[in-house]
Amino acid sequence: MAVNDRLATQKNKNGLQSIDDMQLTKKDFPWWMVTIGLVILITFLMIQINPDFKDAFNIIRAGLGVTISTTIIAYCIATLVGLLVGLGRVSESIVWRNISTIYVEIIRGVPLLVLIFFIALVLIPGFITLLNIIGDFFMDAGISGIGEKLTAIEIRSVPNNVRAIISLAVTYGAFSAEIFRAGIQSINKGQMEAARSQGMSHWQAMRCVILPQAIRNVLPALGNDLISMLKDSSLVSILAVRDITQIARLYAGHSFKFAQAYSILCVLYLTLTLILSLIMKLIERKLGNERK
Amino acid sequence: MNENNVPMIEVKNLSKSFGVVEAVNGVSLQVFPKQVLVIIGPSGSGKSTLLRTMNWLERPTEGEVLVDGVPLSENQYRINTIRSDIGMVFQNFNLYGHLTVTENITLALRIVKKMKKEDAKKIALQQLMKVGIADKADYYPSELSGGQQQRVAIARALAMEPKVMLFDEPTSALDPEMIKEVLDVMQLLVKEGMTMVIVTHEMGFAKAAADEVIFMDLGKIVERAAPEVFFEHPACDRTKQFLSQILTH
Repeated sequence: MAVNDRLATQKNKNGLQSIDDMQLTKKDFPWWMVTIGLVILITFLMIQINPDFKDAFNIIRAGLGVTISTTIIAYCIATLVGLLVGLGRVSESIVWRNISTIYVEIIRGVPLLVLIFFIALVLIPGFITLLNIIGDFFMDAGISGIGEKLTAIEIRSVPNNVRAIISLAVTYGAFSAEIFRAGIQSINKGQMEAARSQGMSHWQAMRCVILPQAIRNVLPALGNDLISMLKDSSLVSILAVRDITQIARLYAGHSFKFAQAYSILCVLYLTLTLILSLIMKLIERKLGNERK
Repeated sequence: MNENNVPMIEVKNLSKSFGVVEAVNGVSLQVFPKQVLVIIGPSGSGKSTLLRTMNWLERPTEGEVLVDGVPLSENQYRINTIRSDIGMVFQNFNLYGHLTVTENITLALRIVKKMKKEDAKKIALQQLMKVGIADKADYYPSELSGGQQQRVAIARALAMEPKVMLFDEPTSALDPEMIKEVLDVMQLLVKEGMTMVIVTHEMGFAKAAADEVIFMDLGKIVERAAPEVFFEHPACDRTKQFLSQILTH
């Protein structure tokens, strides 16, 4: 989860890319892709010919929608949170800077699995209890309209998949905040000075000069985050969210077809991440061409 | 015209320290409209810091800066308005890398001066013609040479119709053969009567363009004089020593 490492490898990748473009190194034939492709192909062939595999696949794939939608929704929220917190990390205000840093450091210091438990089973119920208390307060004060609504919210009324999405979003928000911060700080401070010297406000300069360049620099790292999140979304199965991991676990548990269930689960994740990384490569290449 | 009584830039007893380092130490000076002031001095003498306090990019530790009679202060709204009247050209050009040459010039016109896109574009083209690179209007900064980038940076500053232009070592990051094209543009501005404060190591330019030359060392003004006097008959030993080091090669 070391975001800085991730950024570093990304930079190396970009470096290699540009050397490739200059044709200083020979481009390898992508044997690795062929091999992985073959593995995927063989698995899908098995699904066609072997009734056990077919059975397992048909059951597990029902969770694809949950896996993908959880990932996408949580990722969008996380990116938004990350952008705000990232801006907070480089803010001129000491209050925002500290609040953002506390958030990032806490999240980075606790394992993802533990965070999911904590957010879903402690933080969210706690938040709802707080709303109830505020509701009671309103009732006592005689404002029954809002009061009734707030006291009526029950802890059970937040479904597990919502808790899962919030947990993932809060966690990954801290990671993308670090990415945005690194991106903003990678922009030469002369850019900010030039913009300010022309009479732009700090925010105008940030929005029109710094962020467009920073975001472009961190797109590959953000893409990596999406892939990581897709994989880490498997952890929400512990909240009994019916994603592919949870369904595979249940299926394997009562049918004892562990090999079928978990090979198919692996191949499903592999296929999804491979598709995502291909899309990312295309985007990176497109941006690389534009820059020239 | 109040040309003779209100200085365009007035620095009063200004000091700026970074921690224990006193970069500028009790400097006072005035720049009147249409005047060209050249500041020279060894590196670390505080000349760039002094220049950067003139549009509040550095906050002075002590003293005051007045631009056209208005004191600069922490007031964000007012400082933005004042800054839009002060053009600044940096050593490293600082063009916006994600924008084309034209967009570099129109950005501040549009979001600071709230100009329409077409009007801003017209101004951009005019300024680009003035600095002689109208043909590069749709290029990105990374596609231009250093000299061309610096000329775009000057055009970007001029587009705001500043009352005064600050130059922070505008030719120091350039290859020798590109220095002339930038100095030519600056010479053009001198002829047009632009008020300018220039930090530079180009002694030939200082001699030809300056109304007054200031020599700084260790955060203080050592000597100030008209260029003829300054270069031919410097009064202080430190100035003589500095000039002999520079001019012998």
